[in-house]
Amino acid sequence: MTTVNHSDPSAPSGRSPETPDRNDAGRPWLIVAGREIVVRLTNKSFIVSTLVTIVLIAGVGAFSAWQSSRSSTTTVAVTGPAATQLVEQGAAAASTADDKVSIKPQSVADDAAAKAALTSGSADAWLHQGGDGWVLTAKDAPDSAVEAGIGSAVRTQALATNAAAAGTTAAAIEKGTVLTTTRLDGQQDDTLFIKLASLAFSLLFFMAAILFGQQIAASVVEEKQSRLVEIIATAIPLRALLAGKVLGNSVLAFGQVVLYGAVGLVAVAFTDYSRLLPSLSVAVIWFVVFFAVGFFALACLFAVAGALASRTEDLQSTTAPMTMLLAVVYVVGFSVTGTALKVVSFIPIVSVVAMPGRILSGDAAWWEPVVALVVMAGFAAVTVLVGEKVYRRSLMQTRGKMSWREGLKSADA
Amino acid sequence: MSQSTSTATGASPQGGASQTNDSQTNDIEVRGLSRSFGEIRAVDDVSFTVRGGELTGFVGGNGAGKTTTMRMIMGVLSISAGDVLWRGQPISALDRRSFGYMPEERGLYPDQAVLDQLVYLGRLRGIGTAAAKKSVTDHLERLGLAERAKDKVQTLSLGNQQRVQIIAALMGQPQALVLDEPFSGLDPQAVDSMADLLREHTSRGVPVLFSSHQLDLVERLCERLVVLAGGKVVAAGTADALRTQSVMRHRLVLSGDAGWVRDAPGIHTVDVDGGAVLLEVVEPGAEHRLLAEALRRGDVLEFAPQRPSLSEIYREVTA
Repeated sequence: MTTVNHSDPSAPSGRSPETPDRNDAGRPWLIVAGREIVVRLTNKSFIVSTLVTIVLIAGVGAFSAWQSSRSSTTTVAVTGPAATQLVEQGAAAASTADDKVSIKPQSVADDAAAKAALTSGSADAWLHQGGDGWVLTAKDAPDSAVEAGIGSAVRTQALATNAAAAGTTAAAIEKGTVLTTTRLDGQQDDTLFIKLASLAFSLLFFMAAILFGQQIAASVVEEKQSRLVEIIATAIPLRALLAGKVLGNSVLAFGQVVLYGAVGLVAVAFTDYSRLLPSLSVAVIWFVVFFAVGFFALACLFAVAGALASRTEDLQSTTAPMTMLLAVVYVVGFSVTGTALKVVSFIPIVSVVAMPGRILSGDAAWWEPVVALVVMAGFAAVTVLVGEKVYRRSLMQTRGKMSWREGLKSADA
Repeated sequence: MSQSTSTATGASPQGGASQTNDSQTNDIEVRGLSRSFGEIRAVDDVSFTVRGGELTGFVGGNGAGKTTTMRMIMGVLSISAGDVLWRGQPISALDRRSFGYMPEERGLYPDQAVLDQLVYLGRLRGIGTAAAKKSVTDHLERLGLAERAKDKVQTLSLGNQQRVQIIAALMGQPQALVLDEPFSGLDPQAVDSMADLLREHTSRGVPVLFSSHQLDLVERLCERLVVLAGGKVVAAGTADALRTQSVMRHRLVLSGDAGWVRDAPGIHTVDVDGGAVLLEVVEPGAEHRLLAEALRRGDVLEFAPQRPSLSEIYREVTA
């Protein structure tokens, strides 16, 4: 009678030395994710486009920093001591307002010489007596800082003269005439900057989602079209393949956004808006967190879009719903205001763009981003579950492309 | 442990040792496998065994159901009815992971280097990186592709891409091989290297199932064949067994006209051409009576059994 090892019938003797070590068995998704990342990081066009974007972001920062640090000197032609005195007082007023503006008087012989100086460019403006006051003549429109400085000098002097004539003082006349603007929260008004930052969030999210989303869909259909997926499916569960793809591309997208965000923050630090860095940083961090969760949900949907296609040419139509959705998010992200903005900032995917914008403008309570994030995490979980199902069903279906509806209701292959 | 005891006490007379012993041979057993696509029954109650250590040829016309059967064995297509056993047990995903599989339609990552993507596919099958690299390098050398290891797949010729796909299936000592048309597109030299490689796998006890349209190749290489037509197995067994199963034909050449053979009892004449007859013996022993009658009528120039070629058997069983 043959002796049989009943304790382990699945491992006949002599098998182990022939069988190579089957490691990585528990985490094939990691191998898939690794490949996605390596293939992408060694892709020339990916590297180049990333570098170009970084240069663009840094360039915008550098330009505005250079713009704001540039000092200007304006030479004003004068023909008498009264004008000289006004220009000097104006220079003092202007440099108090902005230390990068300086004004200096240049004495000329007469009006004709002043005009000549203006024409030749040796003077930028000419202060002279007009009909019933002072006139500042420039070649074209005078610099606003110069105009404000000299204007205030003229007004102060005229006020003093007029007040003396009326038997009072300039201060008495001016009392209560100045309107000061303040905000309840003590911050300055930065609506334009917030608008721009929101636009940047929208643009960044839109670009990254489209770029990496299409990449996921393309890599899914590449495997499907070449039937590599049949070889892969015999080796690992399709769930692991999907997980690896989504994870690998999410890590890449996330890394890229963090990189862009960091470069952007550094660029802002060199501009006049550097005082906004603390609140901007908070908004950027929230944006990155929202982005990570939101992208994960989108990545699953893009993988499904890839599985529904059977050739690369079908991708255009199977990814169309995703592209539309993202376009809507993009537009809504920076065009909606007020209550509508509050509402959409809780809607998954839109919240990626809308909520950080609200955080930046300071109108979101601490719990609002948390709730929006939880809502989106729930949405992501649903897309992962549904996506995995459709992915599994449609991946082995090789006859033509499927619609999203067919993918959702079709039986297993 | 408890099972040994029950066998020893004779509680399960027909079970136990012999049953379990069968399960240790490396057989792929297909039992009553069926698959429908809508109304069409592509594979209908197909049963056969691919024995460990043997090359089994899978032949049949286009649309006979070969690819569908292989995809069901590999689990990439769900089974409508029937089951697949590996070593006597229902096959699991983990078992299939150790199988080498070559799908009907071929493809690779066009942008990735040959070595890199083969190592990737090997790692997915659970082969360690170092072992995969070694196995891939060995195979590339065997198939004359060693210097193309770093090249992108899209730069290779179709024949060379085919070799890369073969390596994807054969690398890392698979426990079984299921290959759909592995020889198509290969030049004669590559066919020989491929045949040698498959022999190495069968000599370690691995079962190999491959489909092919090249019947001469199947005849030359295979111990066994399974013939599929219209989704059903129409013949299965060793080539010799199939030959004996098929009706034996004889060729008879007479000096005179052979028209009378048409009326000989127990004989079915296939073709008469002057003095030459191709005939089938319907009643055993009728050939002896026929020969006696022929000798009585004149000279017999030739009387010999015709060993049918595989393609003749194939035509007969699929007709």
